[in-house]
Amino acid sequence: MDAKTRDDLLQLFQSKLNRAMTYYLETCTRCGVCTTACHVYQSMPQAKYIAAYRAEIVRRIYKKYFKGQGKVWPSYGEAKELTEMALEELYEAAYSCTGCRRCMVYCPFGIDTQMIMSIAKLLLVGAHAEPEILTLLADTSIEKGKSIEFFKEGFLQGVKNLEQQVVEKWKLEAEGKTVIPVDVEGADLLYVALAGAHSIIPAAAVFNAAGENWTLSFFEAVNFGAFVGDPTKTKLILDRIVNEAKRLKVKEVCICECGTAYRVMKQLSGKQPFEVSSVTEVHARYIREGRIKLDKSRFQGPVTYHDPCQIARNGGILEEPRYILQHLTDDYREMAPDPRYNYCCGGGGGLVALGEETLDFRMKSARVKAEQVQKTGAAILATACENCHTQLENLNHHYKLGMNVQFLTSMVADALVI
Amino acid sequence: MHTIYYLVLVPMVYAAFAVFIVGSIVRMIKILRTPKHPTTLQIFPKKEPAWLHALSDTFLMPTVLKHNPLLWVFLVLFHGAVLLLVIGHLELFSDFALFQIIPHEVFIGKGLVGLTAAVSLLYFLFRRFTSPVRDISVAEDYYLLILLFLTVIFGSEMDWARRWYDYDVMGVDAYRTYLWSLITFQPQVPDEILFSGHSFMLVLHVFFANIFLMVFPFSKIMHTFFALPVNKLRRG
Repeated sequence: MDAKTRDDLLQLFQSKLNRAMTYYLETCTRCGVCTTACHVYQSMPQAKYIAAYRAEIVRRIYKKYFKGQGKVWPSYGEAKELTEMALEELYEAAYSCTGCRRCMVYCPFGIDTQMIMSIAKLLLVGAHAEPEILTLLADTSIEKGKSIEFFKEGFLQGVKNLEQQVVEKWKLEAEGKTVIPVDVEGADLLYVALAGAHSIIPAAAVFNAAGENWTLSFFEAVNFGAFVGDPTKTKLILDRIVNEAKRLKVKEVCICECGTAYRVMKQLSGKQPFEVSSVTEVHARYIREGRIKLDKSRFQGPVTYHDPCQIARNGGILEEPRYILQHLTDDYREMAPDPRYNYCCGGGGGLVALGEETLDFRMKSARVKAEQVQKTGAAILATACENCHTQLENLNHHYKLGMNVQFLTSMVADALVI
Repeated sequence: MHTIYYLVLVPMVYAAFAVFIVGSIVRMIKILRTPKHPTTLQIFPKKEPAWLHALSDTFLMPTVLKHNPLLWVFLVLFHGAVLLLVIGHLELFSDFALFQIIPHEVFIGKGLVGLTAAVSLLYFLFRRFTSPVRDISVAEDYYLLILLFLTVIFGSEMDWARRWYDYDVMGVDAYRTYLWSLITFQPQVPDEILFSGHSFMLVLHVFFANIFLMVFPFSKIMHTFFALPVNKLRRG
């Protein structure tokens, strides 16, 4: 690696060193309590999958270039030079970490490994050594934000086709309104979906059944900028939705079943004139207010729920999905141990988005998740995140769990009493 | 030889405290001047009040108790012992009514405090020799444990000699004369301290303690100051 590249990368490193990050880098005592926290380590007990080990890979570079000891006495903390080889290590650390923050529950200091891994991801972006596909996807999202006029026609036509399906399945005409409203100024709620019918159709059915004054966003919720760890792109992708919400003067932005999108919008968008909610919260509210009714007999067999890390542990939506499930089944099975210690599905941090490339690792590293799910004896495995759903489907197939993996929104829509 | 003793017992002590105090303050000011993280870093379910849970996380270490109870026992013993050692050393300067609420003879703990610290340190050291803790350890982790062990063992030896074997040449009065002279910047080292049979124990104790203080601000021991704010981040 030439000096110029290294300097540029160290500039990127420096840009990450805010107060919280410095605390995280300075405080670890390598006590090892986090050892068994990581689902990857539990499934494949190798030292490189211990949270503190991952963090130390970044920390060694920090010691080398940002602490006196790296110059005076590098062997004291095993300070490490930033080289091509170091980048490979950073890659392995960052892309075998799903950012679930389970280790944060174990650490006596509460050190956030996901945050430390964000340095590794940013360095990889700077060195053009990140998974290219994630950057490509992020760029596509940003491009769409810039030239919305170009995409508009195709999008509206696509939505028209979906409306047909909603009407057919639910025999539900929104009185005097469009079934899937788009670009409605003054709507109460802006629903941000994913690029896929399964993310739009059931949600539309529930919004209409609840008589919601809603509108569908032009943009997909998912933030590939966050997956690849590029703060600039994350912000650009986020801003598309923030700007749309402001333009339409909505009161609430509702994020579909996408963990990353929810956490980024909820926690990163800053103070805005609208509320941010997850679709799970909104559905729980409809039930509570009596705006929708669900038929408990619609789903047979015991049901369990997988908490998406970014929505539950990192987003705070724990009680709502359970409240919804009370209205869907009499046989709800909680996973053990309790939701605070829920294992990641193994697909976070961009791993599912990388598809086949990561499939083998995802299956091996999530063995404990498969076992955790199996122990509930449930027939239906519900979740509220696109990534988790894909990964759980893969696990279902790989470990022959014989489960019916469902989106919570789809279950709500299917059980609607109209 | 006595020149070396004197150098360790007077100038080096001043240097060590200067590095420790200035170093710690400068490092903390530097960190406090970096920008705050723009978003929340808390984990859920949220526990209220957050500050109370941050305090309990910091001082009671509930996550360690849950996931590694044996380590928790030694961590509590060790940190408790360190606290008592600090009190014990303060009482080697002068009497503090506050500390004598529970009446005791100086040095506090009948020799058991140092023993507890030493045994805990050996436990921390030996657990680092085995996987998986060995795999995540760096040289610093061993250096610090060995340094602390040496400091504690030579310090305790003087206490044990007095408490358990009636050694009475170097006593509390001598320590008070010496330490009080240091803090009032009129350094004087009494003969008992400089010329008695246990002088080299004291010199080694002070020497290792000086090194420890000088390494402190630049090492992971800064968790002493960071544990609370970093725990507060987790609780929101």
